[in-house]
Amino acid sequence: MSDIELKKELQMDEAEKLLPLVLEILPGHAAEGLIDIYEPGSYTAKSLRKLCDKTLNKKNLSIEEQLIVEDIKRQLDGGKLLSRGQEIEGTALEYAVAEQTEAGEKYLYVPIRAIKPQEGGAGSIIVD
Amino acid sequence: MKQLLDSDLELVVESNFIYLPLLFDPEIENEIQTVFRSKKQIENSVKPDLKTIIKVKDKYFVKALNLPSLLENYEVINAYDYKRLRNDCLLKYQLTDEVDGIFLDETLKIILFQIMPHFIKKNSGLTRKKFNDKEILDLINRKINIPARYYKNAETFKNLAPLKNIIENLEIQTPVFKPPGNGILTGRKLRDWFHNAVQAKILKSERHRIAKSLKVREQFNQTKPEHIAILLYISDMGALEIDGFGFTRHNSYKGEYFVYKRTKEFVLTDYYARSYLFPECSVAVSTYLPFRPFVMEKYKHPFLLGHKSGQEICLKESVPSSELSAKNVIRTLEEGITALRYGYDCRRRNGYHSLDRTWVYIPTIDFEDYRI
Repeated sequence: MSDIELKKELQMDEAEKLLPLVLEILPGHAAEGLIDIYEPGSYTAKSLRKLCDKTLNKKNLSIEEQLIVEDIKRQLDGGKLLSRGQEIEGTALEYAVAEQTEAGEKYLYVPIRAIKPQEGGAGSIIVD
Repeated sequence: MKQLLDSDLELVVESNFIYLPLLFDPEIENEIQTVFRSKKQIENSVKPDLKTIIKVKDKYFVKALNLPSLLENYEVINAYDYKRLRNDCLLKYQLTDEVDGIFLDETLKIILFQIMPHFIKKNSGLTRKKFNDKEILDLINRKINIPARYYKNAETFKNLAPLKNIIENLEIQTPVFKPPGNGILTGRKLRDWFHNAVQAKILKSERHRIAKSLKVREQFNQTKPEHIAILLYISDMGALEIDGFGFTRHNSYKGEYFVYKRTKEFVLTDYYARSYLFPECSVAVSTYLPFRPFVMEKYKHPFLLGHKSGQEICLKESVPSSELSAKNVIRTLEEGITALRYGYDCRRRNGYHSLDRTWVYIPTIDFEDYRI
């Protein structure tokens, strides 16, 4: 990577940290989940898992949001939080993509799926 | 007879009989003169006023077909054409079984208003709000390009006047069609009259269906035309897909559907951490027993026995539900998708097949072509 490219990337990194973070935890393969918005600077020092825990323990949820949380917790009973096909670890920025609202306001978006494992196959082939 | 009615030939209708023109032929001319001289035609007639040969505008016409009899027996005389006329007639008033059925289809309601909202993106931006049935139909209207003819059909559906008129006429026993009237007619004009008469007769025989349909329409009269258009579209197409979620009507079992969700491409890794890219597939469940997930397309995967379409996904410790409910269908679909995407354990090589070719490799299903 050239110096110019590196500088550009660092500038982008800095700019991204100034954006709000939108976290969406989706139960299973649902299209929509529980949304939480973190102000710039409030999420950088925390791990993504901690942010998810915070979101899931939020109070004052609407009835619809409560139902989604119930669904998420049902999935997490023995399940995992996955983002981009992997179990979440590290910070939110590692999984975030920049998006913008219809009004043109930019934000970082991290979709996380709560997936209850479903093993397939009755047996297994063990050959080492 | 079809050729006759499709022609521009001049025919005469006299006392419910079709008279066909006689050829200009000297021998026929002689015969006609003989008949007229001997007045045999009167004797040969069933009724004295129905002549076998008549003369209109210096042309001779011979008695051929009885119109009421033709009308009465048309279903047998030309079954194909009768069926076509019947279908046209029922479609004209949106009276097909599917149209009425779709408005009372409880299974479809579960799919549209309870299962589909779980799998499709409803809200724009960052708002997350629950949608009611009308909002779901509005959403479908925005996401699916419904052809204009269904909106036109929806207007027909909402217009109760024609069906009320038919029922009223049947109740006061008004003749369902007027006779064509005596005189010269072209074949095509007679055909148009005949088709209308056949359709009027069909409507009379469909009295119960019309009454039932009228009730359904009165019930849905306050529904928005675009919502009716969506249901008519589903009734006609038998399928709908939005954002990778869809359903399709079962061809053999009436009122049953396959509900599916597309998986998108996904990657699995083998024992040696090599990646395999699996193509998109549709995980489906039927609305009739057994409620087990299967892959609709021809597909191969460690949890599928072969490489063909319609294979059930092999799930460990999964108890299929025994009743149709939105919750159960969602759960079954999710179990199927989760198993395919996340259920393979490369260390244990669970399933029917292993991704990697092991040293005791048995060439059943091979995944080498998916290697990336």
